[in-house]
Amino acid sequence: MRTPMHRFKYTKLTKEQIGTKLKMAEGGPLSASTFSNVLNGKTLKIVTQGGPTLEYKFAANRRLTLTEGGKQVTSGYGELTLNQMVFFSHLIPGEQKGYNVFIDQKTNLATVFEVWTSSGIKQGTGANEFTLDDREVQRQIYFGYVDNGQKAPEKLHHYTNRMMGKGIHWKQDTGIETIELYASVANTNFIELTRHIDDLSYVSTSDYVLVDDRTVIYNRTECEFSGIHTCFVVDLYGVKQVGVRFGFNDKDELEYYMFHGDGEIVGQLAYLENFDDHGLRPMFAPAPRPATAGGPAPAADLPQKGARTTYRPVRTFPHMTDEEVHQAALQRTSAFGAGGDQQSPPQAQATGNNLPFSDILVGKEFTLRFDNGGPVRDYRIKEMFKLQYRDHSDNVWHDADYRAYEGDDNLAWFSHMIADSKPRASVQVAVDFTNGLATSIESHMGTAYYGNETSYRAIFGVAEMTGLEAPLYVRHQLTDELVGQAFSWSYSDQTTSMHIYSSPHSMSWVIFTGAQALGAEWCSPCIYVKLRPGVYIFCQNEEACNGAQMIELLNTKASHDCGFTYNGGARGVSLGVTGAIGRHIGKFDIVNLYGPKRRNA
Amino acid sequence: MKNILRRSFIWKVGTAASAALVSTTGLSIAKADTGTTSNLPLQAALLEEEKVLRKFHQAFEQAINNGRYEEVIGMFAHDSEERDTAEGGGVRVVFNGGVFKVHTGGIRRLYRERFPAGKIGRRMEPAPGFELTDDQQHDSVEVSSDLRSAKAVFPYSIQVGMPFQTESSLAAMARLHGEGVRLWWEGGVYHIDYRKDADGRWKIRRLEYDTLSRADYRAGKSYAQPIFVSRLVACFPADPHGPDELV
Repeated sequence: MRTPMHRFKYTKLTKEQIGTKLKMAEGGPLSASTFSNVLNGKTLKIVTQGGPTLEYKFAANRRLTLTEGGKQVTSGYGELTLNQMVFFSHLIPGEQKGYNVFIDQKTNLATVFEVWTSSGIKQGTGANEFTLDDREVQRQIYFGYVDNGQKAPEKLHHYTNRMMGKGIHWKQDTGIETIELYASVANTNFIELTRHIDDLSYVSTSDYVLVDDRTVIYNRTECEFSGIHTCFVVDLYGVKQVGVRFGFNDKDELEYYMFHGDGEIVGQLAYLENFDDHGLRPMFAPAPRPATAGGPAPAADLPQKGARTTYRPVRTFPHMTDEEVHQAALQRTSAFGAGGDQQSPPQAQATGNNLPFSDILVGKEFTLRFDNGGPVRDYRIKEMFKLQYRDHSDNVWHDADYRAYEGDDNLAWFSHMIADSKPRASVQVAVDFTNGLATSIESHMGTAYYGNETSYRAIFGVAEMTGLEAPLYVRHQLTDELVGQAFSWSYSDQTTSMHIYSSPHSMSWVIFTGAQALGAEWCSPCIYVKLRPGVYIFCQNEEACNGAQMIELLNTKASHDCGFTYNGGARGVSLGVTGAIGRHIGKFDIVNLYGPKRRNA
Repeated sequence: MKNILRRSFIWKVGTAASAALVSTTGLSIAKADTGTTSNLPLQAALLEEEKVLRKFHQAFEQAINNGRYEEVIGMFAHDSEERDTAEGGGVRVVFNGGVFKVHTGGIRRLYRERFPAGKIGRRMEPAPGFELTDDQQHDSVEVSSDLRSAKAVFPYSIQVGMPFQTESSLAAMARLHGEGVRLWWEGGVYHIDYRKDADGRWKIRRLEYDTLSRADYRAGKSYAQPIFVSRLVACFPADPHGPDELV
């Protein structure tokens, strides 16, 4: 697949189309590996807490009979085992739902996933209300046990934060290879190494269930993408998985198959909750209602069936044409000015932890000459916030507001708007006054998809200045040195986001909860440029999200970043500043999994 | 002119419910009152109403603390019993430079919308270094001799916040798990006017949050810095959670 998932126009499959496709799978899932037969000939009664009671009879030919609520159905099923866990999956014929059931044969505890499509679930309010796509697989998790007439167990499987921060590289028996970074208690950042040719990382909503200290049940649903659902149990000792994939792919084909997988732990990020916080309450659950004076603590309100913490940004992102954005820019183009904060800088609003602005450019005159016929710009800078530049293409001096940082010793990092540009453009420039190297991130409004998104590209060249001898061949360059690293960035004391530099061309960001658990997460393509050892430019556009751009200089030696935001929309175009204090949260050893490689046709 | 008999209690945040303190202060007041009135039945009635009002205030704070905002709103008098006047008559709350009136729905807006959105009102310990002085922690309840109205001053120490005013992804994502609010601590005193309704129940007629200090403090931090917070500058409906008028 070449089109990025966040750009792909998935078909709005109708309930009827989905029903027709599911009918073909009523015989049960496929599997590349041989199914196990642990349940063959057995009967099971599974009692769940707050959910259904499921009475199963398993026949010899991978057929089961389910009695639920007095209704009896027969369907095909698939079954795989992992250590003491037996996992089976089946659909309910004629209904757009099924069950994925995990049973611990040692304890008789069970976790049941009810999965269904065509949910009709509405989200948002008022003008922003929308109905979830029928193709998006929903899930509801029930904890329970196999009822053999024994006393009901007091402890069941439960939600957990024990997987948080872990990363696993999986190879399935299907040939599918993924990197999964479980950086949030409610999401996964995953990279499809075999399905997608750009190794971009994506984020999907997830749940984590603890079976025992080595065994975790996991699922993710690719909401806002294909809506497909992946669910498995993992043994962390052997790093093995068995699971199921259920849903519709980009070609609208039903994928309903079970799999085995072998994994390798690729790293572990620190997680920052209190040590007595075990993640027992899922993020989507409403907070318990407070007790009345003297009364017992009431039970928490039950969340809506299928509730999950899912960021769906494009649902509320208005589409504007290039011309509409430019007309808005003519009304208002703001560079570091009053009101700039009213716009929507990416990921950050407050900039209380930014680096101070620098006078490093004051008194300097130089020419930036970029390679391969790139722009040539002369600069004259006499004061801290005003500069003059002249592009050799029009040979006219322009005045511009600018802001500059000293991102590392004698390394200037500054930005300004390009005068009278259409589409509105800005440049973010790093000039190393110790070696004459220069990089410019050339930004402008508009992408192929939205006029109110931003585009960027990095160009490399040199600074020509008296006393500075720039090299002929050496240049700043794109780098993968940050890949796998995770930093929290605190823009202010109350606004922190963790960045995971998850692939050479993409990243994800995760928002901390008040208890410092990592929660909501999303992703975007990005680029990384190496300026010096430990000093990088990181640039992203929040594509299919809010279209805003963040262009930061990361100084990993000082654990600080500083930079700029660029965005536009109905309220005009805005160039702003941002910066944060960083903490290195950890690293995944994944960079060796990327890079150009031979692919099967 | 109403004959107001003043009674004062020393009350510290978090210790109001202390039986020992109540007992001790009660004795001292009984002594102090001996010389101010010889109407013992009235004196007893005043003491009883004071107790009722203190419990009423505790219930008010507890309801706010636990987010039971409908209960809070129900503690205010109905407007039909109080004429709204330009001089400040009418049931109202004064909060951060804004006046929220009951008859316009302002008090409902304050407690059902502004408070939950800003996570406002939860009791918390004072920010380190910002504890109220002993004088500031004095509370008082003054009940009129007709036992129909009262004035009170109580200290408070609460969490206050304001949702991030941005559509950035950081804020939008934080809202998914109930965050996206800039939080701080405020300490001050409530100035409250009470009166009894037709059924003889105490109701709040006017409540003012008189903020004495603010700090960038949240539970668990070991230090705090003073902060400046702008007073409310826009009224409803320009500010959907805004006041009816500005002070």
